[in-house]
Amino acid sequence: MEKRLIKKEALAGIAKKMAGDFLVWAPVKKEDNVLFEPLKKDTEPFFAYLNSKNAPKNVFFPHTETMMKYTRTEKGMTFSQDQSKVGEAVLFGVRPCDAHSFALLDMLFDQEKYKDDYYVAKRQKTTVISLACAQPPYATCFCTSVDGEPVSADGADILLTDLGSDYLVEFITPKGEKLIKYFGETKADTAAETKKNEIIAKAREAIKSKIPAHEVKPILDNNFEHPFWATIHGKCLACGTCTYLCPTCHCFDISDEVKGSDGVRIRSWDSCMFPLFTKETSGHNPRPSQKERWRQRTMHKFKYYVDNFKAISCVGCGRCVMYCPVNIDIRKIIEDISKL
Amino acid sequence: MQNPYIPYPVKVDKIITEVDTKDIKTFRFTFVNKEDEEKYKYIPGQFGELSIYGKGESPIGIASSPTQKGYVEFTVQKAGVVTAALHEMEEGALMGLRGPLGNSWPLEYLEGKNIVIVGGGFAFTTLRSLINYMIHEDNRKRFGKITIIYGARTPGLLLYKDELAQWAKRSDLNLNVTVDKGDANWKGKEGFVPNVCKEVAPSAENSVAVICGPPVMIRFTLPVFFDLGFSKENIITSLEMRMKCGIGKCGRCNVGSKYVCKDGPVFSLAELDKLTKEY
Repeated sequence: MEKRLIKKEALAGIAKKMAGDFLVWAPVKKEDNVLFEPLKKDTEPFFAYLNSKNAPKNVFFPHTETMMKYTRTEKGMTFSQDQSKVGEAVLFGVRPCDAHSFALLDMLFDQEKYKDDYYVAKRQKTTVISLACAQPPYATCFCTSVDGEPVSADGADILLTDLGSDYLVEFITPKGEKLIKYFGETKADTAAETKKNEIIAKAREAIKSKIPAHEVKPILDNNFEHPFWATIHGKCLACGTCTYLCPTCHCFDISDEVKGSDGVRIRSWDSCMFPLFTKETSGHNPRPSQKERWRQRTMHKFKYYVDNFKAISCVGCGRCVMYCPVNIDIRKIIEDISKL
Repeated sequence: MQNPYIPYPVKVDKIITEVDTKDIKTFRFTFVNKEDEEKYKYIPGQFGELSIYGKGESPIGIASSPTQKGYVEFTVQKAGVVTAALHEMEEGALMGLRGPLGNSWPLEYLEGKNIVIVGGGFAFTTLRSLINYMIHEDNRKRFGKITIIYGARTPGLLLYKDELAQWAKRSDLNLNVTVDKGDANWKGKEGFVPNVCKEVAPSAENSVAVICGPPVMIRFTLPVFFDLGFSKENIITSLEMRMKCGIGKCGRCNVGSKYVCKDGPVFSLAELDKLTKEY
């Protein structure tokens, strides 16, 4: 594996240079938030950030996207596949937890049978550069409980680790190596290696928030009807913030929009927190209250995904914990389940 | 590979109003591109997404049998936005069809066994597909005795009346059609499906029951089959849930770890017992 060293202040310049050659998504300051946005000539990437407010999953799985277009004819509608080409792109500087989420989303969208062309096309054309958490940003971070690491290349093609005055640049995949020319000629020495290992240990140590994520699986297997499920949702507003900010939530709706004789079929993020998500035409709803919806969200991440893909569908980013308007804390829920 | 979200263009070739309330119609579709017909290879029990541009999609069980070449049929009740728009369509109209989706009736498992088909009301569509498949001359000898028990509220609500008349003439199947309440012209059975099942009393020996109907019918029919000695492995049904993608990605039709669209809709009672009761 090829390794290079670059000066810390050189990073923004590298991102901007790449942006001259293809689409680069990078963290950008927007009012009080940091968001991943396509880098334009006059925007400055902001790499000294903690984590982005939104998970960067929208790069591969946009909030709303066109699936097909159609036109009204005398006999009815005729359709055409959306022909917009997916170009080469770089997702520059995502946190390891969010990169981990891509590996999890791949399991669902990139299956042998029923490949999701929209997701897969963007994912294949995009090189992911992770920016390791040399200092874990939040007290709510719990990646080490859900098979993650603050310094990890999981889901990434290139890994950047802050060594103090330099970044260690590790080219993880052949896709990552294709971008090597942007990162200068300075090869990383063994001292850099040693430094990185120290940082790994320190960063792991700094993650204080821990949840028994693996331990709850056998409990969830046997407690679908447990009275505990009636105790979570009392204050839930069903706003869906947790699912919208979640890097691994993938549920979507498909809807049609028509203007004049032309229309589009689009897909948009949906949420298991919403009553209409499962409501049938007859009026029957298999998940009639917020209780069943919370059970679904918890089960999906810590049991169903494990049953289907042998992986927990939570990366420990803590966004749902930080931004829930009524302070529902998934860490507390998992902790409580472990004691059932 | 075909993008699974993009429908095949189809033409509404024929529309048959099935019931006297006129809210259930059978739509026969032909493929605009002949090669798509070959791609749309389905097995009884599977479903398709009927796709009306500008309205959306509706997942509906396939009512025709793969032995019926050249077209696909769906029997649809007018209920929501998409099905209402479908009911407004005329013969010759163009629309879309996705699929075939889901698993199917377990044909290999059914082979060599006696088959008892129990249907109630409008939920007879994929059972009709299975019946027509089994009684086709190429397939009939691979199945044992075929017993059919089919009920509707009134004679006017029975689906596929012409076919029922044809089946009644056959000596290689035992057809029992019943209505809750007959009218002046009705000469057949009167009575609820569970009671007719009791009367007909099919033997459980080397037999599988395939049951589809409204929840209340299923609730009272199952005990009859348990009493007859049918095991849970040999009682098979089909679930319905709200669906969008039909390929296990959009996340709304799961029952426990299983997606009804992809892992179902067909499950045996033994399989359903292992799932959570959230449907």
